[in-house]
Amino acid sequence: MPFINEILKYDSLSIVGLEKNVGKTECLNYILYRLPLQEKRVAVTSIGIDGENKDQVTSTKKPEIFLREGMYFSTAESHYKERRLVSELVEITNERSSLGRIVTAKVSVGGKALISGPSSGVSLRRWVAGMEKFGIDLTIIDGAISRLSSASPAISKAMILSTGAAYSSNIQTLVQKTKFVVEMIGLPKLEDCTRDALCDIESGVWGVDSDDNIIDFGLTSALAINSLKVDITKGMRIIYTVGALTDKLMNLIADSKNVKNVTLVVKDFTKIFVSEMAYRIFCNRGGKIMVLQKSKLIAVCVNPTAPNGYVLDSDILCGKLQEALKLPVYDIVKNKYDI
Amino acid sequence: MTFKSALDIDCGLRYMYETLEVMSPSGRKMLLSAPMMTAKVETDDYYGRLKEVHSKDCSKIAVKLMCLKDIETTLSRLDEGAVLDDIEFFEVKYLAIVSTEVRALLEEIELEAVKLPVLEDVVKVLDPDGLNIPSFYVYDSYSPELREIRRQMRALQGNGDDMTDEQRGELAVLLQRNAEIELKVRMELSQRLRGRAADLKLALSNLSFLDILIAKAQQMRMMGLCFPNINEGGDTAYCGMFNPAVKEVVAKQGREYMPVDISIEREPVTIIGANMGGKSVVLKSLALNQLLAQFGFGVAARECQVNLVEEVALCIGDEQSIVRGVSSFAGEILAIDAVIKKIRGGKGLLALIDEPARTTNPVEGTALVEGLLEVIGKVKGGFVLTTHYNIGNDKVKRYRVKGLRDGVMDYTLEQTQCGDVPQEAIAIAQSLGIDPEWIECTKRNINN
Repeated sequence: MPFINEILKYDSLSIVGLEKNVGKTECLNYILYRLPLQEKRVAVTSIGIDGENKDQVTSTKKPEIFLREGMYFSTAESHYKERRLVSELVEITNERSSLGRIVTAKVSVGGKALISGPSSGVSLRRWVAGMEKFGIDLTIIDGAISRLSSASPAISKAMILSTGAAYSSNIQTLVQKTKFVVEMIGLPKLEDCTRDALCDIESGVWGVDSDDNIIDFGLTSALAINSLKVDITKGMRIIYTVGALTDKLMNLIADSKNVKNVTLVVKDFTKIFVSEMAYRIFCNRGGKIMVLQKSKLIAVCVNPTAPNGYVLDSDILCGKLQEALKLPVYDIVKNKYDI
Repeated sequence: MTFKSALDIDCGLRYMYETLEVMSPSGRKMLLSAPMMTAKVETDDYYGRLKEVHSKDCSKIAVKLMCLKDIETTLSRLDEGAVLDDIEFFEVKYLAIVSTEVRALLEEIELEAVKLPVLEDVVKVLDPDGLNIPSFYVYDSYSPELREIRRQMRALQGNGDDMTDEQRGELAVLLQRNAEIELKVRMELSQRLRGRAADLKLALSNLSFLDILIAKAQQMRMMGLCFPNINEGGDTAYCGMFNPAVKEVVAKQGREYMPVDISIEREPVTIIGANMGGKSVVLKSLALNQLLAQFGFGVAARECQVNLVEEVALCIGDEQSIVRGVSSFAGEILAIDAVIKKIRGGKGLLALIDEPARTTNPVEGTALVEGLLEVIGKVKGGFVLTTHYNIGNDKVKRYRVKGLRDGVMDYTLEQTQCGDVPQEAIAIAQSLGIDPEWIECTKRNINN
């Protein structure tokens, strides 16, 4: 049974897809079906709507989420009323989504349900913390399309990435694009005496000089980089951007004479919004990039079928991805892995 | 006037509201829609309860009230005979449990200010297994048939692994039957609880009220507020009056707030004094404390007696409105005119007017203020104005800010007989560090 044991080592997991229809729900069902519930109390929620039987965008058939007896789940009240299982309502949370208040329930007779939980990073974090009172051992967050934010290590410690033909129908491109994301997730964690101080900063772009002084460049975010008149890399050994890392900031550092001496630091991989091109140029010039917090990528799942009907060869795809990513890659639908 | 509309009066009431730690949304809603109390029976009853809460340790109750949810809509639906769903039953059960727990705590500390109805029977109906945990579903215990159906469902589906089409069909039938029985149970439960809707509503409103009282008592302790002596139809007098919002700002600057003593009888009151002497703050504090006393809060003074009024009118700052097309002078005069009309109409009004006619020439300005005081005569509620003009009227009570003493501002008020205004504007301007040449020229002109 691939990766289930690995998941059990963590108390929070997020499942994110690089595109719609990359088999994220299949992957979630696979996990939910195999978790040993007699050992672990599990709670599930989703950042978007999940478990609907028809895709809202492409109108293709979608797998539904099956919840087993003893699992906890959080969903909007309107979806709770449509559940096709028997469950005991245990909490009406203070979180709200566009579909109403978020409620939490414990499954009493297994079945299917639509799951649509809190939608912002902050409320997800509160949700994870709130599950503690029910003695939950593992929280699982189903991410939404192209929203990696739920996989932020601030919210969940481990993650599973779904990719597939829907992301790109060319194996070469698919492998390359996925590889880039995986590379970002795998960026090394900063080990430095200033790390704790940097973690406490809430916004802006900051530098650390050779004497470990932390300097505020007075920018609200990396987006305001145009207003700079001086070379911020001068005399610095670390440049830290709290918010989004953009091509502009990365190019600015790549173009400076100091590029080899500074380390670019971001909060975590979900804050990186640079193109692969900019990243490669930065690296070629000797640039280094690190993160303050890192999440553990447990596995990559693929769906070789795209909603437009295009099907890639599963074995070749898995093989190529595995080779490129140096990580286990699974086609869950094709291979009915044993328990 | 409701508390919500009173928040628009710029006197520091909003600060009191924002620092009030009402835990529940229903408590906040109740507070905002509370009407201003205008009769002594009301205020005496209210402060009697607040005093009792103030004297007890209610911290355990406050924790329970944090979980109180506003379920008025659900209770109204129950009352009207609607069939509640699982979420609504959960809310009702939750309220009944919280109310029962708070009721026990009230008995424990012997607090009688708020009474809660007995709701144990409601909890029992919604907790057939006696688990006493805040959760709800249509329990197996409600119907033997339901228990049997669910057993079959569990057996059929195992862990949700692949089922045959036949099994799927069977499961769908069972799920359908389960839903039907659940609905029947919910109908019965709704029917049984319908008669309890009134008590549940009472519990919700009394718990919200208790939440407000606990928050007010806590605020009184935090800010050092006092219980007012309500003096219906009598005078209003404050000893050591302050304004908590201003006090906090002053404290942040590392300075000390100087409380003032003031009393208002039937005749109009004028306050004169130097610029930056805190005259406007006195007016705002008078407005604030009047409102606090009539909305059942602790009052910001060492001790006080307060006459009840029907309305508080605070005319402060610039009434200029480009939209309405009136200048600052016109805006102000029109606002004061409205006050006069209300007083003439016999309304119990506390009118507080900051420097009337300040935007026109001093000759006519003085005449306008003197005329105003004459026209007002004696008032039911109270009439206080601040001014820089020398007012000649003899039928007014006069206060002056002590003012600059050795370069330090003394904000306390003293009663005086003469209307001569202090001439400290230049000294104060100088202390602000303005252009020395300007000061020089000004002094030369005065001496000429």
